[in-house]
Amino acid sequence: MKRSGKNGAQSEGSNGRPSRRGRKNGNGEAPSRFYGTTLPGVKLEELSGALFVIEGTDGSGRSTQIALLTEWLESQGFAVQTMGLRRSFLVGEDIDALLAENSVTRTTLSLMYSTDFFDQLERRILPALRSGLIVLADRYIFTLIARSAVRGIGRDYLHGIYEMALRPDLTFWLNVRPEIAFDREFKKSQTISYWESGRDMSLSNDLFQSFIRYQSLIKKEFEYLSKRHGFIEVDGEGSVSEVNRELRKRIASHLGIRSTHYQPSHALSHLWR
Amino acid sequence: MATALPDIPAVASESPVKEPAPRREYPGALVVVEGIDGSGKSTQLYLLKRWLEIGGYRIHFTEWNSSPLVKSATRRGKQRRLLTPTTFSLLHAADFADRCERQILPLLRGGYLVLADRYIYTAFARDAARGCAAHWLRNLYSFAPIPDITFYFRAPLDVAVSRIVSGRPKLKYYEAGMDLGLSLDRAESFRIFQERILANYDQMIETDHFVLMDGTVRVNKLQKLMRQILGKKIDLDQFGPKKAGAKKK
Repeated sequence: MKRSGKNGAQSEGSNGRPSRRGRKNGNGEAPSRFYGTTLPGVKLEELSGALFVIEGTDGSGRSTQIALLTEWLESQGFAVQTMGLRRSFLVGEDIDALLAENSVTRTTLSLMYSTDFFDQLERRILPALRSGLIVLADRYIFTLIARSAVRGIGRDYLHGIYEMALRPDLTFWLNVRPEIAFDREFKKSQTISYWESGRDMSLSNDLFQSFIRYQSLIKKEFEYLSKRHGFIEVDGEGSVSEVNRELRKRIASHLGIRSTHYQPSHALSHLWR
Repeated sequence: MATALPDIPAVASESPVKEPAPRREYPGALVVVEGIDGSGKSTQLYLLKRWLEIGGYRIHFTEWNSSPLVKSATRRGKQRRLLTPTTFSLLHAADFADRCERQILPLLRGGYLVLADRYIYTAFARDAARGCAAHWLRNLYSFAPIPDITFYFRAPLDVAVSRIVSGRPKLKYYEAGMDLGLSLDRAESFRIFQERILANYDQMIETDHFVLMDGTVRVNKLQKLMRQILGKKIDLDQFGPKKAGAKKK
């Protein structure tokens, strides 16, 4: 596991270890919680919770890890709120419908996802953070930026739109090779989704080739984003328990939890491999 | 009766607006009307459109917020009052992007004269009045082609507001800017909101090369002026019924 990016994109204390106190005191770290302009009407000092983002392609194990982390955090007494793509009340279903039709153009789709993101951020995530909850995000602006960027929308344009997004406390990138992601996804659903294989981009008529090429393009974008935003890269090809241990270690250190011991409950034990 | 507005020269034909050489990567042309509600812009664009239609020109008319794509989301958001300044702005941008990518740009490339009732300046003026940052809005709409002519219809606030309030039984929640908490009285809120929008429009007159049109001038007189300006700035022959694509200027 390594941490890329130098300029302290995530809120850290001077010793390189995460420090929540520094942020709470608002001694110069507070403004860095947004990338650029603050959302209208948001007071940063009110946001006492923490935001952890899990990024990675389909098949990287994001949702498994989030289920396990949620249980662990709750067992430690932390209330958890989750967010993810297309989960907003405002436009979540509309995006599903657009994707099903696949006649939508790239800028429109990109902006619908932005609407979905900000609806969740403003009406669910910020209230949760105000109440001191832990927010676990199953993907974040980075997937949205990468997907649009590989379709030719400018990176500066995309970063401009998301400059009002909240900067995560920690961003984990579960990195897996496209071939492994393909295997996992195929095992899970016996097919590969139209969008996850980038078939709108006419990369190849062969489904496997299209998937690999598309995921390789996305991965390149993530490498760039990782440098720019200081992701914590995690080897997503490790076992579920190994990956989970890494995530717990980082999160525990950020939150000041002493024990990272965790054994999944019976309900989740099937995920533990 | 034509009355000049006190603060800004009212006669558009005499104001030498410096033309930016528009980035023209297409043979078509884009003409837009802007202005607050009740400024007379839609009436004037309708008359311009009829004139061109009757003349057999290759035109396409498009208006703000007309795409079926985001209609359900907009309705849901407005009915339940879920929209924040940011999501309001993004949803309209998504809608505009759909129109832009599927209608406006292809038509411009295909050599049409495109007439737009409201354009990106509506979003700049209105969303900034809601508190969105100006630079964020400019970036958001940076994919939009720059118009060849932007007619800005300006009427004094009282005139515009009374035209709207008298013509509509009830102002809608977002239309009146009620989400901003400006006033509990809808008509009063609408007035304050429109005042802010008007101020934002005025700031763009020079930066965005608006052609100023006095919305208090008699309808037919103003239309005559609008047709003159259009004819001066755009080679209409290029869109005419017989010479379509035949000659370059």
